[in-house]
Amino acid sequence: MAVTDIWQMIKRLAELSFWLLVPITLFGIPAYYALERPIIQPYVLPFLTRLMSELMDPASLTFKVILYPGFTFVVIYAAFLVLIERKLAAKVQLRVGPQYAGRYEGVLQSFADMFKALSKEVIVPAGADRLIFLSAPIISMVVAGTLLAVVPPSPQSLIFDSPVSLLLFFSVISFSPLVILLAAWSSNNKFTLVGGLRALHQLVSYEIPMVVSTLGLALLVGSLSLVDVVRVQERLGLPFLLLQPLAALTFYITMVAELERIPFDIPEADSEIVAGWVTEYSGVNHLLLYGGAPVIKLYAFSGLFTTLFLGGWLGPPPIPPDLWFHLKTFLVILSVQALRAIYPRYRIDQLLRIGWGTLLMLALINLALTILLMGAIQVV
Amino acid sequence: MALDFTPVLLMAGFVFVAVLPLILIPAIFAPRRPTPIKLAPFECGQPPSGTARVHLLMQYYPYLLLYVVLDVISIFLFAWAVSFSLLPAQASLPLVAGFILVLLPPLGYTLLMARRRELW
Repeated sequence: MAVTDIWQMIKRLAELSFWLLVPITLFGIPAYYALERPIIQPYVLPFLTRLMSELMDPASLTFKVILYPGFTFVVIYAAFLVLIERKLAAKVQLRVGPQYAGRYEGVLQSFADMFKALSKEVIVPAGADRLIFLSAPIISMVVAGTLLAVVPPSPQSLIFDSPVSLLLFFSVISFSPLVILLAAWSSNNKFTLVGGLRALHQLVSYEIPMVVSTLGLALLVGSLSLVDVVRVQERLGLPFLLLQPLAALTFYITMVAELERIPFDIPEADSEIVAGWVTEYSGVNHLLLYGGAPVIKLYAFSGLFTTLFLGGWLGPPPIPPDLWFHLKTFLVILSVQALRAIYPRYRIDQLLRIGWGTLLMLALINLALTILLMGAIQVV
Repeated sequence: MALDFTPVLLMAGFVFVAVLPLILIPAIFAPRRPTPIKLAPFECGQPPSGTARVHLLMQYYPYLLLYVVLDVISIFLFAWAVSFSLLPAQASLPLVAGFILVLLPPLGYTLLMARRRELW
């Protein structure tokens, strides 16, 4: 079985390289000489050297986007977060979890899973809308990755800051119900449609309490820039968690719901509707939709929570600001992951009632208290 | 005030470029042996019947209406919150507080209606 697979792969490779070589030799090389090498030399080499030199420079935008606060760092981080989540859930349930990949306690399990997913067949179900079905994982990753541009680990390593950063985060997040609905509808499966509609109700309902819960904070800061939020916490000398506990609670719960994590994992409820809106996805698409985008989103949301309520990169000096940010973010992520091991699942009508009733009221009460506070400050 | 969103677009573009190989590698190397049964939609082992269809949950329709109303309002409240320190408090506070107070009774009524299952 395995031997024939390898043989098939070699055959496919040979076939592919043949079909690549034919057009290159027949058309590419003559065209290259006929046009007197016009394109490649003036552009490609300087571009590559500039790219390399910018990748060495931590202050450049290229470095930030590609390496440190950006994509590469977060993907590797996400691989370890998946491992930590599996080990944590296993310990709570008296299992051992991943054990064999890597020398110690299965540290390389996520990478092994990635290679496994890469070598698996991509199945597009009959009757599915092929283009939308295959592009949904990519769009989902792009939506999750765009969030990383807004989350600031420290003022030095910051991709993007503007007076509307917070709104930008919310607007990018509001793409995700759309992506989920596209994926669910294009699969042509009853379970995915049920899951997709549940996700639509859930994400749409929890967006409002989340947005309203940060209103009080915007009122205190007077700006929607995340750097300003941390600066104000620095000036006040205390995190907004203490000044706005109701907002922090509301934001945390809505965050867990927006991430579709366990007390609120109604759209992908494993025991009711197979895997919810991801049911028909296999191989690498499943990896991107199940292990890629949600974990990147988890990091982005936890980073936003840290920035808004825990003081972001602020902390006593011997530890550098970036490390403070990542320590706090890791604690938030760990708390969200621990929920998974200990809580059952809500019903969808309970979820909607909690979101529109309790959480929205909490957010509005928080807003009213903040207005009172601001009024008192202005009067004094 | 013009804002430069290039870094955000760069981030999105780079994620797109970085994900492409993950899509292309299985397209080239992974086996492809489709069978009619493998391609059938998953329905827990039953032979699939018809295309996918689902009831739109009418019970939750009030919540979606609430969303349509409150989403716009919350963005307006953001605009007010950011410019709060620039305005005199006596001018804007009663307005917004009254606004939210006016908002509450219909909100409560809608929630009450959304609870009444026999209505739907």
